[in-house]
Amino acid sequence: MSTQNADQEVSRAIARMKAGILAFIFAIIGGGGLFVMTAWLLVKGGPQVGKTLNLLGHFFIGYEVTWLGAFVGLIYGALTGGIIGWCIGIVYNRIVGIPSTS
Amino acid sequence: MHAETKDAIVIGAGPAGLTASYELAKHGIRSTILEADQLVGGISRTVNYKGYRFDIGGHRFFSKVPLINEVWDEIIDEDMLIRPRLSRIHYRGHFFDYPLQAGNALSGLGLIEACLIGLSYARTKVFPSRQERNFEEWVANRFGYRLYNIFFKTYTEKVWGIPCTEISADWAAQRIKNLSLVEAVRNALLGGSGKTKDGKIITTLIDKFKYPRLGPGMMWECCESRLEAQGNHTLRGRRVERIRHTQGRVECVYARTNEGELEEFSGDQFFSTMPLRELISALDPAPPDEVLRAANSLAYRDYLTVVLMVKRDKVFPDNWIYIHSPEVKMGRIQNYKNWSPEMVPDSTRTSLGLEYFLWDVDDEWNWSKDRLIDLGMKETIALKLIEENEVEDGTVVRMKKAYPIYDQFYKEHLDVIRRYLATITNLQTIGRNGQHRYNNQDHSMLTGIYAARNVVGANYDIWSVNVEQEYHEETVSDEKATGDRLIPQRVEPDIDAEKVAPDAVIRAAFAKMDPFALGVAMGLVFAISLFMATAALLVKGGDVVGPHLSLLGHFFIGYEVTWLGALLGLIEAGIGGFMIGYVGAGLRNWTMSTYTKLLKRRAEMDQSKDLLDKV
Ligand SMILES: Cc1cc2nc3c(=O)[nH]c(=O)nc-3n(C[C@H](O)[C@H](O)[C@H](O)COP(=O)(O)OP(=O)(O)OC[C@H]3O[C@@H](n4cnc5c(N)ncnc54)[C@H](O)[C@@H]3O)c2cc1C
Repeated sequence: MSTQNADQEVSRAIARMKAGILAFIFAIIGGGGLFVMTAWLLVKGGPQVGKTLNLLGHFFIGYEVTWLGAFVGLIYGALTGGIIGWCIGIVYNRIVGIPSTS
Repeated sequence: MHAETKDAIVIGAGPAGLTASYELAKHGIRSTILEADQLVGGISRTVNYKGYRFDIGGHRFFSKVPLINEVWDEIIDEDMLIRPRLSRIHYRGHFFDYPLQAGNALSGLGLIEACLIGLSYARTKVFPSRQERNFEEWVANRFGYRLYNIFFKTYTEKVWGIPCTEISADWAAQRIKNLSLVEAVRNALLGGSGKTKDGKIITTLIDKFKYPRLGPGMMWECCESRLEAQGNHTLRGRRVERIRHTQGRVECVYARTNEGELEEFSGDQFFSTMPLRELISALDPAPPDEVLRAANSLAYRDYLTVVLMVKRDKVFPDNWIYIHSPEVKMGRIQNYKNWSPEMVPDSTRTSLGLEYFLWDVDDEWNWSKDRLIDLGMKETIALKLIEENEVEDGTVVRMKKAYPIYDQFYKEHLDVIRRYLATITNLQTIGRNGQHRYNNQDHSMLTGIYAARNVVGANYDIWSVNVEQEYHEETVSDEKATGDRLIPQRVEPDIDAEKVAPDAVIRAAFAKMDPFALGVAMGLVFAISLFMATAALLVKGGDVVGPHLSLLGHFFIGYEVTWLGALLGLIEAGIGGFMIGYVGAGLRNWTMSTYTKLLKRRAEMDQSKDLLDKV
């Protein structure tokens, strides 16, 4: 293949997303993020620990700013992040016309 | 007149002819080689003058073609040396490292010149020549005009005998392999661009090369001896003058001996390494006028070397020096004992080969040996490399048609000739002048091997063997089959396989993201997420529903935790998500493409460093 053709091939190629991998990354960010935020508030302490973050309990039943809640949040965050990542990957791949393999 | 019949007749005992014969012998086909000269090796010969051996120039043995390395090893295994390479540039009394090193170049040129070079470089970067039509514009666009004038102009003009403004830019561009994006990234991430069969990175070949103990001629003399032992004779002093053909087949060739006798040689297959211009005019009956005209238009640059024997054990440490100084006519100077210590009969002596690139109509071409030695001595003394009383002896060797010229029209002429030659089915033209190609030994040999294989059923296009060829993409045909046209197969799959995996990763990583698709994907996910969050709070109900989520109303106009707000949020979060996805993908694509352009530019600069070797 000539250099020009090779370059054209790369410049025309459209990236595909591995929906599974994207879901995994978002899950780590979501779950890990929520866990770290909760833990940070707990370690910091104070009179009203995590008043605002507690509100997530409206969506994630059982979640609160306690050590147990941090682990519950880890699971919820990972699940939500995973679903969001997977959805973005799937929708993106559908639009570019490449079926996702993962 | 004496007549002889053989299976195959090969014209010329240079690398291409001898290798063709060598390959034919492997397939049990006997051949006779007709060589005009008294020495074998063609341009790659070694001349022996009173025990001093020297090449026509200096012949490095390096090839990225595994097959060629195997043949070299087969012919002279133990006599092949691995030599370190040192070659510098001599310009106005200074030596400059080659490939050029910025620090060394600037210190040799002095502060003022260095500043002027810097300014000239900056100028060409800001205002480059829009069109790169000729060699001058091509090099100046990359190095700046001042550096081009010092390091490229004089030498190139000495070699080719025409102003750089008349050399096409394509010619320079062909010499610098234009790396594809994937190759440039692979080089940047994984190092050198290719590997030899045993896995060593090819770039190291620039610092070292193989060289037979007694010069390149040793390779070709050994090859001739091996052929001779198998009954394949090389007849020296036979200049082919006439090639008789009828009904699309050569019947026989006529060669003139040194004594003036004409000998006839007939055969089934014919291989020619003689210059195309001579081949066409030797054909009997003569080809159509158009073909004759095309052949006569092919031009060649001639070459002459003055060899001085010097009473000193060490003159300079380089294998050769490029002479850029415009005051002297010589283009390069070889120090043969630095190629192999056995090139001189006495280690207290040094032989220097002064190289002159000429046309055979130039005055100097016809100068006497003594006059040329005198010129050589004066120039070498002027360059302060030797003293007057140090030269003991000298000799001169002339090599006509050393360089096939690539002028504006050569390709068209070559096409006309090729079309005509294709009508003669048992004649294959191979090698450097045999194909009017600026080939090194390896590619000349490869054409010989392919041509030989073609007569035993393979189907190689020998014209496609050239400098640009990617060696690992070399294709072969299966000879075991019945002689039909066969599908080429890859050899050396190990090398390819090693490259395919990283290449696929690079391609995937550098592929563009579709901004629209990412925009829609993120828009949808954002929109649905906000709608569902709002809906969840509404369904759950309570005194004050979702006071905190309502704060999003600061960003999404009209949004609140109501069913209407949920719908508005759906639309606005969708638009916001789309914009984030679209811009994000665009930014990522731009970063990637800027990065790859930078890598390509760097790779091209790296390649340009040894441009002089390719001149
Ligand atoms: C200055 C210089 C430096 C070089 N350096 C290198 C290097 O470092 N490494 C490298 O690999 N290559 C190098 N080369 C290139 C190398 O010399 C050639 O690629 C190689 O010799 C070509 O081989 P060939 O057989 O095709 O042609 P040639 O070497 O030209 O051989 C052709 C033979 O055919 C004979 N012949 C011509 N006409 C007739 C006729 N009518 N009848 C009978 N015989 C005839 C000639 O006498 C000659 O022996 C260099 C070339 C030059 C000029």
